[in-house]
Formats: sequence, structure tokens, C-alpha cells
Amino acid sequence: MKDRIEILASGFGGQGVVRLGQIVGVGAVNQGFRVTMLKSHGTEQRGGYVRTQLVLSSEEIDSPLVEDPDYFCVLSSAAYKQFGHMVVDGTILYDPAMVEIDENKTTRQIAIAAKETAVEKLGRPIYANTIMLGALTGATAGLLEKKNMLETMLKIIPKFKEENKKAFELGFSMTTS
Amino acid sequence: MKRFLETGNFAITEGAIMAGCRLFAGYPITPATEIAEAMSKNLPKVGGYYIQAEDECGAMHMAVGAAAGGMKTMTATSGPGFILYADPYGWAIGCEIPIVVLNSQRVGPVSGITGAPGQGEFYNARYPTQGGNYETIVLAPNSAQEAMELTVEAFYLSERFRTPVTILADQLVTDGLEDISIPETDEEKEAMGLRFMDRKVHMGPDFYPATDEIDLPPTVLGKNTGAMCSDWTPTEEGYDIETVEAHHKPSYRMIYKIRNHTDVIARHETLFLDDDPDIIVVSFGTASRTVKTAVKKAREKGLKIGMIRPISLWPFPDELFNKKSTYLSVELDYDGQMVREVERAMPCDSDIHFFGKCGELPTVAELHEIFDKLLKNEPLKPEGWEKEVW
Repeated sequence: MKDRIEILASGFGGQGVVRLGQIVGVGAVNQGFRVTMLKSHGTEQRGGYVRTQLVLSSEEIDSPLVEDPDYFCVLSSAAYKQFGHMVVDGTILYDPAMVEIDENKTTRQIAIAAKETAVEKLGRPIYANTIMLGALTGATAGLLEKKNMLETMLKIIPKFKEENKKAFELGFSMTTS
Repeated sequence: MKRFLETGNFAITEGAIMAGCRLFAGYPITPATEIAEAMSKNLPKVGGYYIQAEDECGAMHMAVGAAAGGMKTMTATSGPGFILYADPYGWAIGCEIPIVVLNSQRVGPVSGITGAPGQGEFYNARYPTQGGNYETIVLAPNSAQEAMELTVEAFYLSERFRTPVTILADQLVTDGLEDISIPETDEEKEAMGLRFMDRKVHMGPDFYPATDEIDLPPTVLGKNTGAMCSDWTPTEEGYDIETVEAHHKPSYRMIYKIRNHTDVIARHETLFLDDDPDIIVVSFGTASRTVKTAVKKAREKGLKIGMIRPISLWPFPDELFNKKSTYLSVELDYDGQMVREVERAMPCDSDIHFFGKCGELPTVAELHEIFDKLLKNEPLKPEGWEKEVW
């Protein structure tokens, strides 16, 4: 494992980007990682972009900044334009309903139809971030343990547990099957 | 040991209650609002009190009043509130009332940017009230964990020195989330290096000794000790007198009780200073987090770069800057406040440079660019500046 894993999540206010980061952060702490999480704040939360920067390490973390993301969960074109260039060797997980990607980019870019799947399979777009969480968990290939992430998510989101569980599984299968 | 992912605000609350804080008076302000929120939930559980005041001026007056009445108290704010603390802060200094004040710096001046980090209160924390004739104790954490530990330390120092102690944090310390370890047993607290001191009562009839003595319990009003407590120039018994002759004594005490005991206060972190580094980077608070990563990575590339991080910011630790080198002060402000202190403390044949950002941390990539320029003797040209002049 690398000594430092950087995860970036960004989208519009209200999409659950900070919640997504919080679940990953708490789950990582449960797995024994040292964790830092910075969240964007202020007017950005009312319509602008929202950003969560997570760093995971087995050692004490100095810089909490994400400068070279290993994973980038992106839920808006604006966020993709603003931060996409930072991803060099990492993986981009994007929702094609909301993000237009640069096809020429050489890094790994995986389409996660989170919003569409949430509406079709669960009836509401609100589960899109849980689908993205499942997809991210799958994409990390065991770094984030599936059982732990699922349990952490169900603990942090108090309502609609069955729907969220299903959403997580749907997302997980998108990056593992 | 409890371990979880939480904000610095939450960690500070845990530290305060652990240190015996039983009253918090405050007025909510980003990025310190969650301290008020957590205090309002957690203090009543331990028999303590949370008071939401009408504004910051009222808040700190209430906290100072309760401290003068014998309670360990705290208040928390950000820059726009800290400036309103000026009057009660002076009362706490002059009347020697222990209290802990947290200032989570955002971007200023005035309201500035609420949800972004700044370090513009470096000097304001040193001179938080009018009139001079005093030293102040200021501690600067760079993580949520350290914020918890320094909150405990701030209560300890405030009791030992009979004075307010400011924790000068910033938005990323208080609003950022990190894994935090909260000790539960005495052994765990000791292993973490935490120090505690109970509130005691000074049995008068004198108010203060005209010496630099520390470890003198504070005067607690209403305890019938015979001691008075005055914000006017007091006699040693605490009566108002307002004479030039009398004023020398409390002034001497307020300055030298701190100046002569900096060994009790001093804390710092240094890295790679043993081989006469070509550059020594100086930073405090969250700016030091990316600086540390940048310095470590520069060393991996073979560059001779060291780092100094003052944790006790005031009194300023002049003794750390005894090496001839090229100093680089990295700050979350554009006016280069700490530059002046480093320049004053460093050997006169050293150089000083400045790199400032506001509202966000310097990146490792930016810092490496700066290191390269300095090593090539190229002038720094931060965006917006034509020339780097100090």
C-alpha cells in the first residue's frame, strides 16, 4: 500500500459530497487509518462547488491537502473542470448525467450512473451519493473494506437503511463486476 | 482511549471539559460555532453551564466574571469576535483572572471570508487589549489532536500564571476533521503529556505580590479572603490608587511573571536543523502541515532545508532562531506578520523571505518552487507583488 492515499470528492452543494467524505473518513478510522478531512465551506455550499479532501495513511499525516488524488469522485462538470487536471495516476469516478469528461485524458475514468440508477432502481435521486460511495469502495480494491464501509454508512445515515444498503451494493457492483 | 473522526472544535470541547472547564460563555461565529454547540450539549452533563451572550463583548465579560467567582471558564470566537473581547481581556490581564480564550482565525480584516483559514491575528493575539504593560501567553495548534492537548495546557498555564491564555487556531484546525484520540485514564493522560491544575483560592488579604512569582492562586471574589481586585491601578491589597508610583508594581508583575518563566510555557517543533540548513522554513498553525511535508520531500531530494514551528507563539521564542541561515516565513496572511519577529530574532547576517497565502494552505508544489528560487538566489515574486521587500 502507498504510504498516503488521497481522495477528492466534489460536486454541487446538496449532493452529499461532505457526507460521502465523512463516511469514508469514519470508515477509514474504524480500519485503523490516520485520517484528515477538509471540507469546503461558506457560500460554496449554496450552489457553488463543494469539495472534500481526504488523506488516509498508516502514519501521522502532515499535509492534509489533496494535491495528487488517487481517487476523485466528481458529481458536476464545474468540479471536473476545476480539479480534474490534478488527477495524474489516479482514478476518476464520474456521473455521466452531470459530468462531461475530457475523453483525451489518459487517466482511468469510470462512469458511475449514480443519479440515473438512483431514480430508476430506488425512485429518488437522493441515493446517488450512496451509489458513488459503493463505487468508490469497490474501486479501491479492498483498501476500503466493503463490510466496514457499509456498516459505517448505515450508522451515519439514520434513515432509509434498506434503500441505502441497496444503493451501496449497486454502486459497489459497478466497479467490481 | 476513545478514538474517532471529529472536528477540532469538538476536540477543543473535550479538552476543556477534561481540564475542568465548567462554564462557557460565547456568541456563535464561524468557524468556532461548533464549540458553542458542543459546550451547550456537554457542559450540563458534567454540572457545568453554557451561556449564549448577546454579543462577544458580553460573552467574555460573563466568562471573566465567572472565573473571578472561582470557576474555570472558557470562551471561543473568531477574529471579528476576538476584537470585541478587547475590553474584558484587559480586565482578565489586569485583575489576574485565569481564563482560556480560543480564537479560530479566518480571513480578515473585518468579516473577510468566514469558512477559510487566516493568520492575521498574530500580533492581535500578542496585544489583545489596550494600554500595554503586559505579556501574553498564546499557543498555536496545527491539528485537531494538538488543539485538544493545548486546550488542556492553556487551562494549566492560566492557573499557574493567573492570566488569560489564548489558543490561536485557524479555520482548518477547528473545522477540519481528523482522527482524534481522547485519553480516559490518568495513565493515558500522563502518557500524552497533559498537565492539570485545580482552581485554588488565594487567601488574602493581599491582592498580588510585587514580584514575578507564579503558582499563586487567583483572588476569588466572594470567598471572604479579604483580598480586593481592581481594574484601576491597585495597591498590593487591591485598593484603587491610580498613582504613578504604585503603577510600576503591577506592571512589573504582569510583564515579568511571564517573561521570567518562559521555560514553563515554551513549546516548539523543529526538523532537520543539525546540518546548518541552507533554508529554514518558519511557520505555525495549519500552514506548518504542508510546510512539513514539503521540507521532508525536499530532504528526500537532497536539499538542505530545515523547519521551525513555534507552538507557544507568545512570548515569541527568539532562542530558536540562533543559526545563520536563509529564513523563509510561510504564513496565511499577505502582510508578513511573523517575518518581523523572525527578522528581529535571527542573527543579523541572516536573510529573511516571505511567502504568504490567505484562505487556503500553500501547496507542497508551491513551496518547492519557492525553495528552488531561494537556493538559486532568485527573488521571490508572489502574485501581486512586484518586488519582495522587507
